[in-house]
Parts: sequence; C-alpha cells; structure tokens
Amino acid sequence: MDTLEKAVDRVLSGDTSAFQQIVAQTSVRLVRLGARIMGNQADAEDVVQEAYVKAFRALKAGEFDRRSSTATWLYRIVVNGAIDAKRSRNRRGETSDEAVETAAWDGAASAEARVALTELDEWLGSLPTEQRATLVLQSLEGMNNGEIAEVMGVSEGAVEQRLVRARATLRQRRQQS
Amino acid sequence: MTDFEDVDQRLARLARETEALHPSAGFSARVMLAIEAESAPSFWESTWFSSRRLLPIAALAAALAVGWAASLEHSVDDELATSYASAELE
Repeated sequence: MDTLEKAVDRVLSGDTSAFQQIVAQTSVRLVRLGARIMGNQADAEDVVQEAYVKAFRALKAGEFDRRSSTATWLYRIVVNGAIDAKRSRNRRGETSDEAVETAAWDGAASAEARVALTELDEWLGSLPTEQRATLVLQSLEGMNNGEIAEVMGVSEGAVEQRLVRARATLRQRRQQS
Repeated sequence: MTDFEDVDQRLARLARETEALHPSAGFSARVMLAIEAESAPSFWESTWFSSRRLLPIAALAAALAVGWAASLEHSVDDELATSYASAELE
C-alpha cells in the first residue's frame, strides 16, 4: 500500500493531520490539472481547495468506498469541480482573460508557463467543457482512455467520441484561420 | 502555433510548457485551515460534548438533592408526630 493510501487510512481512523500528507503528495498535480482545464491558476486553486474539503467531508462521512485509488478519486473530484466552475463562468459570460486579469499571479508559475497557459486557454476556449477536460486528461496529463473513463465516470466509447470531436473542432478552426 | 504544427504537436508543446505550474506559496496552509474549520465541532456538538462531561456530576448532585429532600421529609414528619403527641397529652 502506498503512502497516499496509508494517509487515507490515518484520516479514516480520526487523524485529521494526516490529510496534510495527502495535500502535500497531490496538490502539484491537481492544481496543474485544474489550471489546464480552467485556463488560469487562481481559479484552479479555488477548485482544488474546494475539492480537498469535499474529499475530507466524504472521508469523515465514510463515503469513500475505495473502489478506485485515492489519486483517481481526487482527480475525479477536481475534474467535476473544474467543469462545473468553468460552465458557471461561461454562463456568466466571463472570459478567462478577465479572470486572469483579476487574479494575482504570485510567481507560482514561470513566465513561459503563464504564456503557455493563456495560449492553451484561448485555443481550447471554443470546445465544450467536457471535450476540453477529456483532451487535457489525455494529451496533457498522459492518461489512457480507460483511466479517463474512470475519472470522468463515462464509458471508454464516450471518451473516444469526445476526443475525436475535440480534435476535429481544433483542426477545423486551424483551417479557417 | 507554427504553420507546421498540428493539433497533437501543439498539445505536446503546451503540456511541456505548462509542466512548471505549481501551487502558489501558502496554498497547502490555506487548504489545511479550511480542513481544520471543517473538522471543528459545531456549536451543538461542542455543547453536547461539554454536557456529557458534566453528566456524572449532575447525576451525583441530583442524587444528593433527592437524599436531602427525603431526610428533610422524615424530620418534618417526626416533628409533626411529636407535636401531635404532646397536644394529645395536654
């Protein structure tokens, strides 16, 4: 059993401080994933913090059935949170550019990463949120279709369909420009 | 995106370039503060736990009060009995 699963065991047995170990081991990957879906880091940190609180509540309530690994479970909470947040931002008509301007960059990202994140957000901005998240999980997080299906709670066929559609939209946009 | 870069090449480049993203300073501390706030007992939970601690003392006090009331009743009965007896003698 890896250290992440052991930390979960400790939280389940009442040791709240063990949750810090879970945060230390997963926060870099989860914030990066959130930023790639949301298009900016400040929103990603909000989503990931909320995801940790939800995970903690679920652990305390005995709702984590451990059918998937802790890492996959946390990925699922963050992806769902990011999709919901992105959708509600789109409904409000707020663009990522506005969000980036209002969010203070505090040096957590290099200038290159910041520029790349803005480029990524503009490029994937035309995709439906589920397609964008699916493409991020595959091409930026390096997951295979089975892993993506488990994280997103859909079939592998649905994952494949989203990826095909996302790539077709991006190619179409490239030809138009 | 260059003229020769296709969708997958561009995704691969952006994956490399965003690899350096990491949480801002103090992020973990903020998360743990939120977790501690979440794990702190609510007003009613803390009231119940405090009350539970006082329960044995309250039970002992109640028992003593009942004992004292019973003994008081006995002495009042004795006094009444004595006063009736003396009234009958008179």
